[in-house]
Amino acid sequence: MSSAPTANPSGQRSRKDLACTLAANAFQKQFGADLKRRVVDEGEPFAIVQADTPHEIFHVMDIPIITNQWWSAYISAKQLSNHYFEVMAEAGYPKNSCKYCSLGLACTLANDPKTAPWGGLPKPTVLVARMTCDCIQHVFGQWADALGSEFFPMEAPAWEHKDPRWFAHSKDQWEQVYDADRIALAVSEMRDLISLLENRTGRRFDEAKLHYLMERINEQEGYIWEAAQAIGKARPCPVSIAEQMPNTMIPQWHRGSDWAVNHARRFRDEVMERIAAGEGTAANEKIRLMWIGAGVWHDPGFYQALEERMGAVFVWSMYMPFAGPQYIRELQGRPMEALASRVCSMNEVLHLPPWMNGWMTSEAERCGIDACVVLLPPENRLSQSGTKITAEALESAGVPVLMIDADMVDAANWDHDRMVGMVADFLVRRGLA
Amino acid sequence: MIAHLGPNLPHDLFDATGRNAGALRWNVDRAMPAADRWLESKFAPWTRSVVQDWADGALDHLEAVVFSRADDSAQRLYYYMCELRRTGAVRGPEPLMLDIAKIPRASSVARTEAALRALGARLGVDEAALRAAIARGNAARRESPALASGTAPVCLIAGSLLPDERLHRVAAQAGWRAQGRTLADEWTDRGPPVDETGDAFAALARQIHARALDTRGFHDRAGALAQQARVAGARAGLLWLIEEDDTSVWHLPAMRAALEGLGLPVMVATRRDWLCRDGIDLEMGAFLAGAVA
Repeated sequence: MSSAPTANPSGQRSRKDLACTLAANAFQKQFGADLKRRVVDEGEPFAIVQADTPHEIFHVMDIPIITNQWWSAYISAKQLSNHYFEVMAEAGYPKNSCKYCSLGLACTLANDPKTAPWGGLPKPTVLVARMTCDCIQHVFGQWADALGSEFFPMEAPAWEHKDPRWFAHSKDQWEQVYDADRIALAVSEMRDLISLLENRTGRRFDEAKLHYLMERINEQEGYIWEAAQAIGKARPCPVSIAEQMPNTMIPQWHRGSDWAVNHARRFRDEVMERIAAGEGTAANEKIRLMWIGAGVWHDPGFYQALEERMGAVFVWSMYMPFAGPQYIRELQGRPMEALASRVCSMNEVLHLPPWMNGWMTSEAERCGIDACVVLLPPENRLSQSGTKITAEALESAGVPVLMIDADMVDAANWDHDRMVGMVADFLVRRGLA
Repeated sequence: MIAHLGPNLPHDLFDATGRNAGALRWNVDRAMPAADRWLESKFAPWTRSVVQDWADGALDHLEAVVFSRADDSAQRLYYYMCELRRTGAVRGPEPLMLDIAKIPRASSVARTEAALRALGARLGVDEAALRAAIARGNAARRESPALASGTAPVCLIAGSLLPDERLHRVAAQAGWRAQGRTLADEWTDRGPPVDETGDAFAALARQIHARALDTRGFHDRAGALAQQARVAGARAGLLWLIEEDDTSVWHLPAMRAALEGLGLPVMVATRRDWLCRDGIDLEMGAFLAGAVA
């Protein structure tokens, strides 16, 4: 057995400037309790899904979902990640296996209800993932076996239409941007998934409900995108990415619900109020930073550490501006196809050229970025992917880039002070501070 | 001429073009500044050689290179090479992707068939030409030489694909005969005979979709390994995984249990250097010397 879980002393909490951030976190905490009650205490059917799968189908059918990335972050926030990495090593898995996707599997394999959050997950109706990398089908396949459940994989087909400016057309020309045949394949798979869910749960899928939900999601993501555009123009930056992330992502886990739409509106309003009042996340903003990669969930305070010392503000991470080009869809009377266009490339545009470098270079220009920090997880090809070509594109556009070797859920090689110091040195070395 | 890279590809279709240059070769035992510049660390090592050759103009004689979607490094590399060509950073052949779908589902078979038809159209191969090539390919399959045999005890090597036969030579020096697949074995494997009845593209799609050799296939790897060990009469097993492997790592406990369940001594070597410059030869030699043959 691995040793008892130990706390990570390095990570620091982030500062909250917005009232809505506290509200989002409180909602998510209550949601976690409700979810636990529904799936653990009451034994309701539920699914374990990757972030880039069609959550909307489950929402329409009122089937609770646990998103793998959210569950990983939850485990990480409970300071249990190192414990579970040891569990995997003791089970014979090499220590360099991908960590981001496998924390949930590790928690299940540990089979230790006393340690596990919620006492561990019960048997889900199904596990769903897109085949975006070589490891995910193996992780989810074994996880399904360990839970006595079924894995429903979805293809991540090749993408021939390579438009570096995809983000300018994806809202209304999604059939061209994402390839009609790729969308058709995703729709076919979603219909198979719906049949499986209907057969297993007795709950029915209603396409009219999906149409309504998609409209509500458009409204919600429209508020987020409006705020993202305002943040890009505002000087000083009113909200750090440490607060952009929860106010975007938590509603996105519940996308289209009344709470999510209302929260997105509230967030937009608070952002606008701060801009109107000239309030910045830093007292004296001098350097606008871009963060490329998943959030460092074990050290959210990292993003605000240089605000007062150097006036360096993390203005941009992918989560918030992604709401515009990758979520908002003109439905064109075809909600299933519109939904397919949302999910069939969600990962690709963030991790492969030309989409990744095309979008991020454009975003750097839009937001007046002075420098960029890129997370390079050493053991995760998917998360590493596209970073060097993107870094080169940013440098060519005049944006200095720092790449740091670290993992978003593994705190073992992360030291808050060392990482902050690395960014500070980089800014000095590149003449920005 | 048309070359290809990656596993699970339609060799009969390549033959039908009359311009098949075969699989790309690799040499990673050299300085590769272009790979250092554009590739991240977790890419399979052979990708570095391909990028360097592309940047050096060593592939300029080729019309196109077909990449396999059945391998994650290969499919990512396809997008990189497309982008580097678009931006003018490299010249060279046109990258083409064969979008192989592997999920055991009718829509994935159909997707693979559509991808084969598109590739055939791009390379000027119609159904009749493919049918003839499949007939020739099946004849060649039937004439394939049997696996080498001998009296030396067999050490089964599994996990990551080997760069070449250097570990086979280590085994031979210890009085053993190694059985393990190299990357070239994987890339040139034509697979079982293709059904010659009905539509040729559909038949080839079914063959590719069903194959269980690549990183994305849905099959019982540990069970297959145990069966392979039984057929080979293996007396020992080496589970060898390189640092960049992100497929076999998930099956290592099951593969180890499968071999140990057969009573075989098993050596596990993880996070290893693909070129075996990390002392694996000495470790393997000592393991085989100690294994009871």
